[in-house]
Amino acid sequence: MSLGIRVAALDDIPIGEGLAVDRSVTGTDDDIALLRDTDGTVWALDDTCTHETASLAEGWVEDGCVECPLHTSRFCLKDGAVQGLPATEDARPHRVEVRDGEVFLFPGEAP
Amino acid sequence: MELRRTDCELRRIVIVGGGVAGVSTAAALRSGGYDGELTLVDAGEFPYDRPPLSKDFLTGVKDLTDLALQPPDWYDAQSIRLLAKTMVAAIQPSSGTVELAGGKVLQADRVVLATGGGAARPPIPGLDDHRVHVLRTAEDAERLRSALVPGARLLVVGAGLIGAETAATAAGLGCDVVLVDPVSPPLTAAVGPLMASWLHEMHTRRGVTTVQATVEAFSAHSHGLAAQLSGEDAPRVFDAVVLGVGMTPSTGLAEAAGLECDGGIVVDAGQTTSHPAVLAVGDPTRRRVNGLLMRRAEHWEAAQYDGKRAAATLLGATVPRPAAFWFWTDRHGVHVEVVGEMAKATSAVVRGEPAEGGRFSVFGLLDGRVVAAAAVDDSAAVRAARRMIDRGVPADAGALADPATDLRALLRRRPEPTAAAVP
Repeated sequence: MSLGIRVAALDDIPIGEGLAVDRSVTGTDDDIALLRDTDGTVWALDDTCTHETASLAEGWVEDGCVECPLHTSRFCLKDGAVQGLPATEDARPHRVEVRDGEVFLFPGEAP
Repeated sequence: MELRRTDCELRRIVIVGGGVAGVSTAAALRSGGYDGELTLVDAGEFPYDRPPLSKDFLTGVKDLTDLALQPPDWYDAQSIRLLAKTMVAAIQPSSGTVELAGGKVLQADRVVLATGGGAARPPIPGLDDHRVHVLRTAEDAERLRSALVPGARLLVVGAGLIGAETAATAAGLGCDVVLVDPVSPPLTAAVGPLMASWLHEMHTRRGVTTVQATVEAFSAHSHGLAAQLSGEDAPRVFDAVVLGVGMTPSTGLAEAAGLECDGGIVVDAGQTTSHPAVLAVGDPTRRRVNGLLMRRAEHWEAAQYDGKRAAATLLGATVPRPAAFWFWTDRHGVHVEVVGEMAKATSAVVRGEPAEGGRFSVFGLLDGRVVAAAAVDDSAAVRAARRMIDRGVPADAGALADPATDLRALLRRRPEPTAAAVP
């Protein structure tokens, strides 16, 4: 079983913010946004908003959702489900694990 | 959403208008558990989003299908009957009928008016020339796009949101753009004088000629359309003109049905009009709160929230409280966001340096609290501010002004006990 890719230290991602991991690291079509919820947990979604070109890693993370920095579409951190217009498509989620203060990403694996 | 069944079970709801307000109403009704008949009547080919009409749709980067508010299969999946390319001729609230153009009649227990508005056309002589455009619908944008060829001389009348965005888009397409507005700088009430000046001067930096004047008359000229601007000796000649001078609310159906209208369809906090069987949402509405008539919001997000409130009213659920207005505008490659009412602020705090390629924000304060904010390329500042406004967080001017301050940390400060009594 894969151990995942070590992509960041937990402390690199402030509470309520995100960090984009380049696709050259993740091997995915899009960059992946690591998003740290207000309760401290880390989630991962495809970084590009499904509405227009905006980085969800630059969005506002709070109470289980990330809000797009351009037009405020919100996505559920756990499963990427879109919560409101203007986006209508869900964001793709990826599995994340935190071990000893290090963040490991499993690109393409469901959380 | 918690359901509280009201006196009568609603089984038939008709929404008139498929803009963001109408579509949001439909979506919120379904997500809130409404399982009766739901009909959405719209004049267009399908409901589409309007903000890109002055930007990516005007340049041709996006086509109409890219602007669809919902995917084509969404309506069937949600059991929403979409009557596209259909006009409503009249509504009869007392008998619960909606009469379509062509004579067909729909029965409705409740009607939601989401009729939007049209572009305002001021009484300027010569305005009916075919080279004078407005920008409200996809058809308007397509017609204007064909005029925006490189080198075309374009006059944009009005430097508010639509005018400024259109001027920026046209300049980007290589047009020779003159932007005229009687106010300089425009948008001061929304973003404060500093940011208003900076944004307006950006037009000049990007090759748009700004003129502080009004247009007195248009007249045909051998080489185009002549526009006489106030204070100028000779008219200027253009290939095309765009009016961006505001909207006229579509209140015709409401007025004909005898609903109270006063510069818009008057609604209560739950979006109900003066007739209990008719609700209204979005651009044409004015909310009356504690006897005071608010101005029309005319913003995208406000229309979406109206839809959620109308759905809550129809479902007998708790109606969400109106939040501070929020809007965005994109011009010359910068993303501007605004929240709240800057005109209410008695002092302003600037965070960051206004500079090309940089980011900065302005916070408007009143009685020790943030009441408004505006930001250039710093949406996080506005997102923080809107939460400070909605949660009544005390403002620390010095901390706000310091770009090194983590605004999220400021937000975590608890409101003082006396602040709990926000209306």
